[in-house]
Amino acid sequence: MRYMIGVDVGGTFTDFSVFDSTTKKLTHYKRSSTPEDPSLAIMEGMYQILEEQDIRPEDVFYLAHGTTVATNALIQGRGAKTALVTTKGFKDLMEIGWQRRPSLYDLHKQKPQSMLALGQRYEVNERIRHDGSVKLPLDEEEVRSIAQALKRARVESVAVCTLFSFLNPVHERRIKEIILEECPEVYVTASHELIPEFREYSRMSTTVLNAFLGPVMKQYVRNFEHKVSAVGIQVAPYVTQSNGSIISISETIDCPIKTAVSGPSAGVIGAIYIGKQCETEQLITFDMGGTSADVCLIDNGEAKLSNERLIEGHPVRIPMIDIITVGAGGGSIAFIDSGGALKVGPISAGARPGPACYMLGGEDPTVTDANLILGKLNPRRILGGTMDVDRGLAEAAIRDKICANSSLTINEAANGIISVVNSNMVRAIRLISVERGYDVRTFPLMAFGGAGPLHACEVAEEMGISSVIFPSAPGTLCSLGVLMADTRFDLVRSRILEAVPESLPELQAIFQELIAEGSQLLDGEGIAQVDRTFLLSVDCRYLRQNYEINIPISAVPSESVLSKMCADFHDRHNSLYGYSDEEKPIQMVNYRVSAIGAVEKPELTEVVSEAENRELPSTKEVRDVLFCHAKEWLPTPIYDRSALLPGHVLVGPVIIEQMDSTVVVPPGWEAVVDAHLNIRTNRKRV
Amino acid sequence: MSEMRKVDEVTLEIAGNLLLSIAEEMGVALIRSAYSTNIKERRDISTAVFDPKGNMVAQAEHVPMHLGSLLGIIKVVLERYGDALQPGDMFMANDPYGGGGTHLPDITIAAPVFEDGKLIGWVANLAHHSDVGGKVPGSTSGDADSIFQEGLKIPVVRVMEAGKTDLDILHFVMANSRLPDERYGDLQAQLAANRIGIRRLKEAYARFGDDLVDSMYALQDYAERRLRAGIAELPDGTYTFTDYMDDGGVASPDPITITVSLTIKGDSILFDFSGTHPQVEGPINVTYNGLLATVFYALKAFVDPDIPSNAGIYRVIEVKAEEGSIINCTNPAPVGARIDTCMRVADVIFGAFAQVAPDRAIAGCNSSCTTAIFSGSDPHDPSRFYVYLETIAGGAGASAANDGLSGVQVHMTNTSNLPVEALEMEYPYLEVLEYSLIPDSGGAGKTRGGLGILRRFEIKQDNILYTGLGDRQVFPPWGLNGGQHGSGGRYEIIRADGTTEHPPSKVTNVVLNKGDLVSVYTPGAGGYGPPKERDRERVLVDVIEGRVSPESAKEIYGVDVKVEAQTCTG
Repeated sequence: MRYMIGVDVGGTFTDFSVFDSTTKKLTHYKRSSTPEDPSLAIMEGMYQILEEQDIRPEDVFYLAHGTTVATNALIQGRGAKTALVTTKGFKDLMEIGWQRRPSLYDLHKQKPQSMLALGQRYEVNERIRHDGSVKLPLDEEEVRSIAQALKRARVESVAVCTLFSFLNPVHERRIKEIILEECPEVYVTASHELIPEFREYSRMSTTVLNAFLGPVMKQYVRNFEHKVSAVGIQVAPYVTQSNGSIISISETIDCPIKTAVSGPSAGVIGAIYIGKQCETEQLITFDMGGTSADVCLIDNGEAKLSNERLIEGHPVRIPMIDIITVGAGGGSIAFIDSGGALKVGPISAGARPGPACYMLGGEDPTVTDANLILGKLNPRRILGGTMDVDRGLAEAAIRDKICANSSLTINEAANGIISVVNSNMVRAIRLISVERGYDVRTFPLMAFGGAGPLHACEVAEEMGISSVIFPSAPGTLCSLGVLMADTRFDLVRSRILEAVPESLPELQAIFQELIAEGSQLLDGEGIAQVDRTFLLSVDCRYLRQNYEINIPISAVPSESVLSKMCADFHDRHNSLYGYSDEEKPIQMVNYRVSAIGAVEKPELTEVVSEAENRELPSTKEVRDVLFCHAKEWLPTPIYDRSALLPGHVLVGPVIIEQMDSTVVVPPGWEAVVDAHLNIRTNRKRV
Repeated sequence: MSEMRKVDEVTLEIAGNLLLSIAEEMGVALIRSAYSTNIKERRDISTAVFDPKGNMVAQAEHVPMHLGSLLGIIKVVLERYGDALQPGDMFMANDPYGGGGTHLPDITIAAPVFEDGKLIGWVANLAHHSDVGGKVPGSTSGDADSIFQEGLKIPVVRVMEAGKTDLDILHFVMANSRLPDERYGDLQAQLAANRIGIRRLKEAYARFGDDLVDSMYALQDYAERRLRAGIAELPDGTYTFTDYMDDGGVASPDPITITVSLTIKGDSILFDFSGTHPQVEGPINVTYNGLLATVFYALKAFVDPDIPSNAGIYRVIEVKAEEGSIINCTNPAPVGARIDTCMRVADVIFGAFAQVAPDRAIAGCNSSCTTAIFSGSDPHDPSRFYVYLETIAGGAGASAANDGLSGVQVHMTNTSNLPVEALEMEYPYLEVLEYSLIPDSGGAGKTRGGLGILRRFEIKQDNILYTGLGDRQVFPPWGLNGGQHGSGGRYEIIRADGTTEHPPSKVTNVVLNKGDLVSVYTPGAGGYGPPKERDRERVLVDVIEGRVSPESAKEIYGVDVKVEAQTCTG
């Protein structure tokens, strides 16, 4: 038992990180993804790894992967045939939503595609009141006849969401039972099991999406488990979730929605780990790929979570790492618009035809074409020399589509494309930092993804950030993150209580119940008692406000814990909103417990110790490069990253090429290679 | 601007991004530090950056109604204070008749920004305050007959001089509000938001120098060019459209004519509202700035939704409206509920545009900001008075390509509903029995109009007062090119004893008691093209989904569901 394997499935590539716990050696693999059945690429990669490293399958003691099955099913609208059962009077709620139109000014923009099958919305006579009491008992006969109709319509999956079920689930539970009695093959999600929180539209929408994904995920999981065990791997595989943790593959069947935005979250976990190597607990992650860039803020070594976001236009209320995505990637297309401004993105040339320089027939100029012309990307061969490119095609595209429609020269246009795409990314970084009250200048930027390291220093300059970290393998941070994750269940209850000692008995009961539930889930994951942590928190607000602040508490509430919570709430309200009011009663709304199980992780040791004044390797070449805002081309030494060792110091301008990325260190920056082969750059005072 | 140097295509885009970021950051700061729910939850605010001459350059807004609300104030400040301006000054106003703004709850605060003694621009923000005095809580009264019943009027005043806040002025405003502490908190937040804007604009100037100021002018030229390019594609001519609002409230019970004649000539456009009804003694009058906001909204939506919101737009358009008419009202006409009229003005403009480019037009929308207000006293604490206000959406008009959206806010607003579970926990005196789309309320057509909403309340306590503000209950949303009109809205009260009442569209303080049921039906929207040309499959889908009844399918669309069902199974 000595190997750990982490797999990240991306749109273009499937990445693998393999850790040998005996030699402490970490290796990475990359294969083209197989979107029609993502497990194909995974299994091909597994065979390759087992063979090349001569690993016996039974020596693998950890296997985790991020899956795009849920994400793709939602994007393509290809899920199960799904029905909704709800309280009488509310069957249109999924369409009404918040009553908002999807675009303020675009009259023709449509609402998101419904995830429910045609004619499969059912109402039942029942009603729970706001205090949990039953106003109208459930009409069970009606439910039975609905179940018959579901059967006749060959419905595969059912979402059950009734009003106030988060307070009293008795009706939802019974509806689920009856449906399963009548149609045992059907997949059923009841909203109180998934998210027992108030605000019916968000809860219903999350439930519907989960039901839509359930059968698809079930089929995938069974198939994958089967394939893994056929290889001879004996451990049960884990799956990454959108909150940056991993859960066992069987748990995924009940809550597939929790994996819907897991892709970028693994990269954030990888970044947190690299941050620890660099002794920093504050970071802004900057993951730029072919079509988009993801940014996330990490404070105190933890990624910020958000409790709700839109997925394909539908609200999903599940704790997820708070990642902002902008349509700015290497393939983003540049154009001059009808008013004469240079725009970049969000349309991307994708992998095919790709940037003009790829020689695959693309005629639109992209960010990659601009980087090529400016000398930042190798003008002959990229991806570590494995892919030929044509600088002439890049030039032609910019000349025909940009210069012909503007006053710009080729060089101005190429530099303009970079400036504009950088300014789009700056806006995204501002959203997660400055606009949430963080002073961004104290946060180093961590650059990864294929294109992140090309742009990071110049983006940092725009933000006033003076430090950028480049992990040793920027293209595989996601699969590394998969190796670094813990298992975690986020549980919640809603109940409105005033934060006074009289509420303590009910409060304690709620938390004890949540902890018991969390323990049970961790039992299911086989987590030992010593490896368990429970994080408790309460969503609080001043009386009659309609927004809450999450306040962590140290233990199951006692009188002192409660008064500490109130003090913390006033403080937090003051720092977030600029005022607090000690006189005003505090209401508690949601109660949260995160049950965390520590999972064994690789211990990466230093590669070679740093040496003072280590002599630099020879350069691959010296290339003229035009940097952002620069008037002159600067002769710039190009290094091969694999030749760089701990202790090497490089003074910008310098460019470092590697298999999965290109690191650009502009003039005014100095780079040092650390003991883990990360490159850390700092901007010298100007 | 002859001294202006040319700004290249790249600087234009980057400066535009940066100035919009500044406006957005001011908005976030305002929402974060404000005190009232209205600002925090409904985001009823707007923030903007201006050039040194007071022309708007970049605006972050969440509600189209605000597009015009920041237009006036800086010009007034420049006229009145001109050379006496100094760093650290800020100015405040809410008077629709002499300080910009479109109704009294919207208070604007503007600040000049200086660098080395030179004026480099302005920042300003607007926030809707939940109460600025007047005859009713919330300041907007359905039966106000003069603006003096709608709260405190603030002319342009210097609320901060050289960095020192004039507390006398703040106290004066507080003394005139039912919620003085909230006013104080919200006004402080507005001052703070401007301070952030000032700091960011100075930072931007440090980086770009005079290029920044040049870019401010270039951005207006840019918006102008884009809009002109869009208008030039439209055929020249004059196009007229007229619609009617049900009434102007109790004091003005007759229908209200809204008419526009728009003339496109080359790349410019004239909106002439001659023939529109005179102002009324009810709160639905609109000031000229409110009219400009509405015209801008409609133009942006119709011609190019991505045109930046800046003053360049106004160089392209000319807007004529008779002084003293309901859309260019004069002091002291009340304006509290101006949005209802603006909604209809937008519909009328789209009606005229439909003749210009039928494939881009949409049919008449619910366009009536239907508002239900319930108020009463807490039975456990009679001193505690509560007001629950809900704006209920309706249908959006069909277009050549698509069915209209159902149950959405249209045109000048886009605020959210209060979730039923939040409502009932907060106001246990009410229960929502139904919140659904109304079958057959969308006008029939080749594409169907959007459906209106039914929201039915059960009253759980005696002595609750109901106030309804609505329109399009007499004149329904119109169809286009052979499409039928959608159904109008209505209110229905079923008393506990079984008797039924139908109050008018604008009704104040109906007394309700335990067991009464109040149903608010909002208007649907018009259809587009002849119903008989609708795809049979889409008619069947509508029937299956309950949007169209089997009877309407047969009578209006000529699709017999029974026959179709037999064909399917047989």
